[in-house]
Amino acid sequence: MADRITGAVLLVVAAWYTAESRSFEGGALAGPVGPGAFPLFLGVVLGVLSLYLLVRPDPRPTWPHRSMWLSGGTVVASSLAYAYALVPLGFLVATTVELVVLGSLFRARLRSVIPAALALSLATFWLFDRFLKLPLPEGLVG
Amino acid sequence: MDVLTNLADGFSVALLPRNLLLAFLGALVGTMIGVLPGIGPITGVAILFPLTFSLELEPASALILLAGIYYGAMYGGSTTSILLNVPGEASSVVTTLDGYQMARQGRAKPALAVAAIGSFVAGTVSIIGLMAFGPLLSRLAIEFGPAEYFVLLVAALSLISSLAGKNVFKALIAGVFGLMLATIGVDPGSGVPRYTFGQLKLMDGVDFLVVAIGLFAVSEVLILLEQSRVGAALVPTGRRAWITMRELAFSAGAMVRGSLLGFVIGTLPGAGASISSFVSYTLERRLSDRDQTFGKGDIRGVAAPESANNAAAGGALIPLLTLGVPGSGTTAVLLGALISMNITPGPLLFENHPDVVWPLIASMYIGNVMLLVLNLPLVFLFVKILTVPRWILMPAVVVISYIGVYAVNNSPFDILVMTAFGAIGYVMRKLDFPLAPVILGLVLGVLMETNLRRALIVSDGSMSIFFASPLTKFLWVVVLGVLVGPVALSRVRKARQQVVDAEAEL
Repeated sequence: MADRITGAVLLVVAAWYTAESRSFEGGALAGPVGPGAFPLFLGVVLGVLSLYLLVRPDPRPTWPHRSMWLSGGTVVASSLAYAYALVPLGFLVATTVELVVLGSLFRARLRSVIPAALALSLATFWLFDRFLKLPLPEGLVG
Repeated sequence: MDVLTNLADGFSVALLPRNLLLAFLGALVGTMIGVLPGIGPITGVAILFPLTFSLELEPASALILLAGIYYGAMYGGSTTSILLNVPGEASSVVTTLDGYQMARQGRAKPALAVAAIGSFVAGTVSIIGLMAFGPLLSRLAIEFGPAEYFVLLVAALSLISSLAGKNVFKALIAGVFGLMLATIGVDPGSGVPRYTFGQLKLMDGVDFLVVAIGLFAVSEVLILLEQSRVGAALVPTGRRAWITMRELAFSAGAMVRGSLLGFVIGTLPGAGASISSFVSYTLERRLSDRDQTFGKGDIRGVAAPESANNAAAGGALIPLLTLGVPGSGTTAVLLGALISMNITPGPLLFENHPDVVWPLIASMYIGNVMLLVLNLPLVFLFVKILTVPRWILMPAVVVISYIGVYAVNNSPFDILVMTAFGAIGYVMRKLDFPLAPVILGLVLGVLMETNLRRALIVSDGSMSIFFASPLTKFLWVVVLGVLVGPVALSRVRKARQQVVDAEAEL
């Protein structure tokens, strides 16, 4: 069943991708192959492949366990939040918070995860920003 | 001997103190990364590549660092196979068969030593192979026109897809998905923005590093989150010597055979390290397993695959450097790295950038020597990494991924993209889609479209150019064989099985 759903989703993606490829104009510069030709080709190939997946799915792919939706979702959500918070809050603050969140997901106790998160973000900040000269956003504390 | 002078020049660059230090650091960090389960050479190279910019390394030095990480990560993977029965990467899965058995019999040290020595032998074989075939093939490849290139890329992608996963169709979907990702951004041929959703930040396309780190590193964290496996127990290693001359002599044949076979398999696009280690183990078993000792701790069962996967890493450099066609996920990342340093691998590379190619080849050899003298004494220190609790190890991987991704463009937007690909990668792995073809498609997409364009400009729009030369015809046969072959084979096998079953019932 999982494969059929995937096949259906991919078919929709392929259809959208192909339709979109028809809207690219201004191919005069590119010679016989306009900006839409290669995408059109890819879209059709993906369409055919996803049809095959719909018709002949693998027997039993395993779905993630139900508890995974929550913890996996937290990883993704916190990571997205991190991207938005990184510049305004700065690397040290954002990273410490993110490390506490992730550490807790791996079943660490707050008592041990908070100092570890603080130490780790300080250490990585020092290593990458100060020592390896890879500038990281400073934000609130720099 | 032109080649030898070039190689000597290469060594003189690679042996500069700074480059030696980089090779050392690369091997060290690479081994640590390789020891971590699931985080292999691809992730290591992708995460640490942005560093080469911030350190303002010249191309040769940057490549030396990356090559060290690549080699170190492969070796680290075999260490955990032997000591913990936990393969660090796909290429060291077979090493667990005899390596872990040896460790359980108190022969962990000889197993680790033979893996390192085998890698060293393999490094020697592949450096000779590179010297012999690299310039030769690049001279051949100069004759390639855009049509040949296009078909070659199609062949490479289909080869990789047919070998990457259990289901060819899923692998092909992954490859096409990668190609589609490559079309995001302003089309270099016409200046038209494509699939950017009106996002200014997508005009330059999605960076392969961001995708690679998301697909491999972030999805790995998600996978590990799911498995609540407790750390495996370390096998006691015994007090005996590293390796005796007898053991060395006993496994010498396996090392040489593994190296030669691995090198040849490595040069084929798509085959790469994991397949070569598997094939060479099978071959060695057929050839030498007279007393049925394989699988019960036979030292040759470690020597053969460990030599093969290292030789394959060297062999994979041949199509990468001479044709600009990477044969594996890791070499695809290396290709992306080369391109972003404004070095285009291909037939002209050996002529235009000998200052890059030969130091790279030399440094791979030096990397091997370093692994030999550095890792054996330190191996137990590396394995200690696994005793660090997972709740600190995995978040640390995530943070280093953030830093790597942020460093690519100094843009938090890339962290969003990385996260999205982490989720996509997780779903793909759950559904048995291989990840490497995505990276390959993404790196090769632009090349493919450009060559398609050039070819059709040459031929004035006629598709016949793709079937004109003997080489393109040959490559189409390869594509057909690769795509139809496995399906046909499984049909035949199934039919035969039915016949056997029917006979059994009678």
